[in-house]
Amino acid sequence: MAVSSRRLQKELTEIKTAGTPCGITLLKADDFQTWFLSLEVLGESQYKGEVFALMFRFDPQYPISAPAVQFVVDDKYKAPLHPHVYSNGHICASILGGEWSPVLSVIAVCITLQSMLASCKEKKRPPDNDRYVAHAPDNPKKTRFVYHESDSAAAP
Amino acid sequence: MGNTSSSGRGHHEETVDFGSLNPQGVYTGPRDWNQSIVTQLIVDRKLAPFYRPLDDYEESWDDEQILAARKELPEPDAGDSSITRAESHTSSLSSRSHHKRPSAVAKEPGRSPEAAVYRGAVECPICFLYYPSNINYSRCCNQAICTECFVQIKRADPTTTHLVSEPACCPYCVQPNFGVVYTPPPWRAGIGSEGATPPSWPDSPRGQTPQTLDAPPSSLMKRRRKSFSAESPDVVTTDQIRPDWEAKLAAVRAAVTRRANRRIIMRQVGDRLIPVGVTSGRVHALPTGDEGQGEGGEGNGGADRGSRRSRRRQQNQDLNQLLGQMGIGGQDLEELMVMEAMRLSLLEHEEQQRKEREAEAKRLAEEAQAQGEGTGTSESTAPTASESVLPAASESPTTTTGPSPTSTVLSSASSEGPSISRTPDASGGSQGSPLPPPSANLPERASTDQLSPASPSQRGRQRRSSSISSLSEALRSVAAAAVAVGSPAVDEVLQPEVVSPSVSTTLQSATSTGTASALASPRLDEEELPAVSNPEPQAAETVPATLSPPAPGEENSTPASPEPSRTPKSTESSDEEAPSYNVLLSSATSIASSTSNKPLLEAPASGPDTGVTTNGDPSA
Repeated sequence: MAVSSRRLQKELTEIKTAGTPCGITLLKADDFQTWFLSLEVLGESQYKGEVFALMFRFDPQYPISAPAVQFVVDDKYKAPLHPHVYSNGHICASILGGEWSPVLSVIAVCITLQSMLASCKEKKRPPDNDRYVAHAPDNPKKTRFVYHESDSAAAP
Repeated sequence: MGNTSSSGRGHHEETVDFGSLNPQGVYTGPRDWNQSIVTQLIVDRKLAPFYRPLDDYEESWDDEQILAARKELPEPDAGDSSITRAESHTSSLSSRSHHKRPSAVAKEPGRSPEAAVYRGAVECPICFLYYPSNINYSRCCNQAICTECFVQIKRADPTTTHLVSEPACCPYCVQPNFGVVYTPPPWRAGIGSEGATPPSWPDSPRGQTPQTLDAPPSSLMKRRRKSFSAESPDVVTTDQIRPDWEAKLAAVRAAVTRRANRRIIMRQVGDRLIPVGVTSGRVHALPTGDEGQGEGGEGNGGADRGSRRSRRRQQNQDLNQLLGQMGIGGQDLEELMVMEAMRLSLLEHEEQQRKEREAEAKRLAEEAQAQGEGTGTSESTAPTASESVLPAASESPTTTTGPSPTSTVLSSASSEGPSISRTPDASGGSQGSPLPPPSANLPERASTDQLSPASPSQRGRQRRSSSISSLSEALRSVAAAAVAVGSPAVDEVLQPEVVSPSVSTTLQSATSTGTASALASPRLDEEELPAVSNPEPQAAETVPATLSPPAPGEENSTPASPEPSRTPKSTESSDEEAPSYNVLLSSATSIASSTSNKPLLEAPASGPDTGVTTNGDPSA
């Protein structure tokens, strides 16, 4: 069992025994590769009444490597309208990139994103949404690389 | 030493305090840390050993439960070796010191020190596994972290788009320069336990052991509440176990720089420039050896280019050796080669012009001679030049002013000479292959060169027009002076002559040296060198007036003494100069001139300036 499975097993156990924080619900965690959780901002906020779903994808190096986290965009769920959330569900959040710490967990990420939404003042897409979405990789974790590399490739 | 055998020799080779020197397979990724450093740190008790983690832990567990909960090294790839090693430990241990340590057999419940170390196990907050309480703690915020997790934490690898490498941050408190502190248990087992007096527990493992083992670490934990600086000798940082991070960063940076500096190499064939390859760009970060490789690796494709490449690379290495001996890194090599190539291409052209001018100068000189031998000033200067070139010019009593400029020029010229004359070797042959110089050094000219590779004539014109014009003028006058031998030159010839000695000397010596002949002409040196070390070519031209006067005094270090005596002893003066060139020339072929070359290469910064200055001054 890879360290990710072991970790996730324990996180799952914790979730099931201690429960999830308010507004966060475990939707699906059948394996240790992909989890789904629902997210909703309680209280007064721009997103009152809206429910979003988060997809977590883990690689075997989790938690050393950050999980790939994005909002689910399908028939049922939409990505929240937020300056840091692209319409394809990708999220621009430091803790999902360079500031990820192995001490963080699935629930910790959910809480962070929840508060990110809760503190939103204006519902709008990132300025470069269309450009990004047009070229975005499937896995948001690759975003930085692919994005930059295509940039630099174009430059010369 | 009696203790040694009794404390379990079987562990000596590969375990420290019942933990392993190797990871236990918690992580499956590449082991990109320096394992030998980690091993040493573990042996030195500066880092907790790789204990087999427990999946879970309860205080109430007995030894059997503890041992059963140990991670079964599930990952076949990573785990296998560890398992077999552990097993062989146990067996060898039991066979060797069977009577002494029956408890060492791992599975024996209730009396195993291997189990005892797990008493009071600590959960690593990252991998969620349990480890003996002698675990590492973050230096900054005193949080537990197992060695397995610690070795996973590192700087983010630099990428070509992210050219920095920030030290890894603490996963807990995000402080930079993550490091851990490890407090070993008060007892020792395995490696390094020879000298130590193991508390009696190895011999009396039953019953007592748990407490003995248990107590110290927990008390230590309570004791340790301060934070350590990253520089503390007690701290092991992530950089320490990955000392190559700097090299990695440098490599990426070098690659990027190289890419950015890549230039098209043009070869001049007749009147046209033909692209023959791509330079690797100048790279500071690369050590000498890599330079050649990197260059070779990049310059693929094109038959012509290939052969030329390889040839040059070979020479490159020779030259690298040479340069290395002279204390010059390989980073200058490319530049030198570029300079040389440019110089050579100019040379061809100049050679032709020179002949023309010589003829003209001759005529002029004759005219001047006819005009009358005489004005004091012209006398003083003209001789200087001619003296060095032609010993026959002994007649002239040079004034102090006359010689000093001369010496200035000479010194600067000589200082440049070597660097360049050496280069030819590297670039292989005197074939004019104008390599545009790195833009950093010669911003304007380089760019023009590059941008208009198709118009060589234009390019030539450009160069000529700038400093060349003054140079050629100088040349002309020199030639005149030389021809006139002793005849008072025209006033305008004055300063040019200053340059002339060096030129003619060089030329003479050069011709005698055969292949190197082309390389030696100083005027070119002067022209090209500024480009190398002088970021602003214009500076040289503006500074002239100011620079030239003081320069003599400063620069005279080399030719200083000859200066005064030069006039009287014409032969000596020429000797004085000639050697320097000879050295240069010889350096091209041999490594002999390491001493004189070193300063020379560094000199260009000031040297060329003065040289150009003197030239331009008079002419202007």
